[in-house]
Amino acid sequence: MINSVRNTVLAIINKNNYGYISPGDFNLFAKQAQLDIFDEYFIRYNQQINEENARISGTGYADIKKGYEEVIDTFSVTSFLTQKNQNVYFLPSTSTTGSDYYLLNKVLCFSGGVLKGEAEKVTNSKITMLNSSLLTSPSTIFPAYTQEADGVVIYPDTFNGVNDVQAQYIRYPLDPKWTYVTLYGGEPLFDQTQADYQDFELPIDDSNNLVAKILQYAGISIREADVFQFGQIEDQQQNQTNL
Amino acid sequence: MAYINQRKYYTNDGVNPTDENWGSYQYVGLEDIVKNFQLMYAGNHELINNENRFKILFHAKRGIQELNYDAFKEIKNLELQVYDDLRFVLPPDYVNWVKLYLLKDNVLRELTENIQVQSAVSYIQSATASFTYDGDGNATVVDSTLDTERKNGSLKSIYLNDEIDENVNPNVYNYDSDIYNYRIGARYGLNTETANINPTFTIDKKAGVINFDSTMANQQCVLQYISDGMENGDDSKISVNKLFEDYIYAYIQYAILNSKFGVQEYIINRARKNKQALLRNAKIRLSNIHPSRLLMNLRGEDKWLK
Repeated sequence: MINSVRNTVLAIINKNNYGYISPGDFNLFAKQAQLDIFDEYFIRYNQQINEENARISGTGYADIKKGYEEVIDTFSVTSFLTQKNQNVYFLPSTSTTGSDYYLLNKVLCFSGGVLKGEAEKVTNSKITMLNSSLLTSPSTIFPAYTQEADGVVIYPDTFNGVNDVQAQYIRYPLDPKWTYVTLYGGEPLFDQTQADYQDFELPIDDSNNLVAKILQYAGISIREADVFQFGQIEDQQQNQTNL
Repeated sequence: MAYINQRKYYTNDGVNPTDENWGSYQYVGLEDIVKNFQLMYAGNHELINNENRFKILFHAKRGIQELNYDAFKEIKNLELQVYDDLRFVLPPDYVNWVKLYLLKDNVLRELTENIQVQSAVSYIQSATASFTYDGDGNATVVDSTLDTERKNGSLKSIYLNDEIDENVNPNVYNYDSDIYNYRIGARYGLNTETANINPTFTIDKKAGVINFDSTMANQQCVLQYISDGMENGDDSKISVNKLFEDYIYAYIQYAILNSKFGVQEYIINRARKNKQALLRNAKIRLSNIHPSRLLMNLRGEDKWLK
């Protein structure tokens, strides 16, 4: 998808000889555009739930929420968290679980390889009271966790083994990279066999959005207001259609 | 909790305690209650949304406690010997008592609660009525006369006056062991409703003990009591009779809606009525009223009293 998006962007920009975007710049804009759209998925998902509650959304093919869930779930990762010390575990990151997390959705606690319970996120302002509460203090079957710096603290502290804590989280999409081989004439030619090649991770459906977003960044980069405005209008229209 | 096969039910697969699963099908565990509630009654399209699980857990436990106080008929029994100190320490999960028995001569005798005070704190007093104090500035405590008399048996009981005729009137003829000799003419003011020969007791809730009169020394005592169902804080053992399962969900729902900001009054009322109706239903079910029992009662109606 990344090559077709780039070709479209270049075609629009070159229409009136506005300018040229280097592969390096394109990759930067592409990354930014993908993150924008990725972030919007969660906002749109919430809007869709509100629409369902207002009974202005349907089921079956009209189930828009399901589509959003499917896209978000493609970024879902389930992985054991690396132990930092005792009952403190590192949050998912590229150095521990292989990917940075956007949203920590679920934290599961194990003991001796057996799932004991799902830990509940509790704010730091509540955890002290919760721990001293007779009825609701975290227990093996109702554990809790707080977030602190780059880690999660699990309660009760009996969960303190290497593979005692597993997280299901939504990772960030990988940075897109349009790779190429430089021909003798100087024109870069798309080459997806390169080791660092990375396509967009969003569905094909989002290619229009990607083009519009990238055009906005490119418009600012080449100081062409027309290109920026075109991208902006396209983006707005696309958003209105989605709502 | 998953369904278990019959071997697991009867033998717990040989793991001690082997009787752990007996009767377990009557109950639903706390873990299941919270999970089911989160799945079925909380979520984006439900009345309850964005609530912490610990709140659901809190209300679930509170609901179970309330049920244990009266609706459940889950009575626990503890038998202990009462020694010379005439005390029975309340069990750790004690909330309220149901009945107290003296087990003597192979017979369970129900004991009567003494409405009079049977134990008191006393301070050392000087002749001028002033107190003595310990190093912390507290009045020095000493055994009260009331306690001493109760323990040595000299404290008179209003439940059965044990004065014998000789003591009341020393000039009367001694009939030796004639039963008419005992307790003659000294029962005025006796509470006939509660009068009996058995020991009496009072419960000192704060002190956590049951105090008996001296006749209970070295006797076996059986306490029937209710707990709050919290199983000493072990969440995995807390459970509710299935007849009350729906009520617990309704209770949690009502409790959360009732304390949530901005919920319309009619929704709270609906939840409240639902909760009350389910409680009534469950109580009727648990009372086990069925035709054959009614028939037995009706047959008893024609029994001649002789």
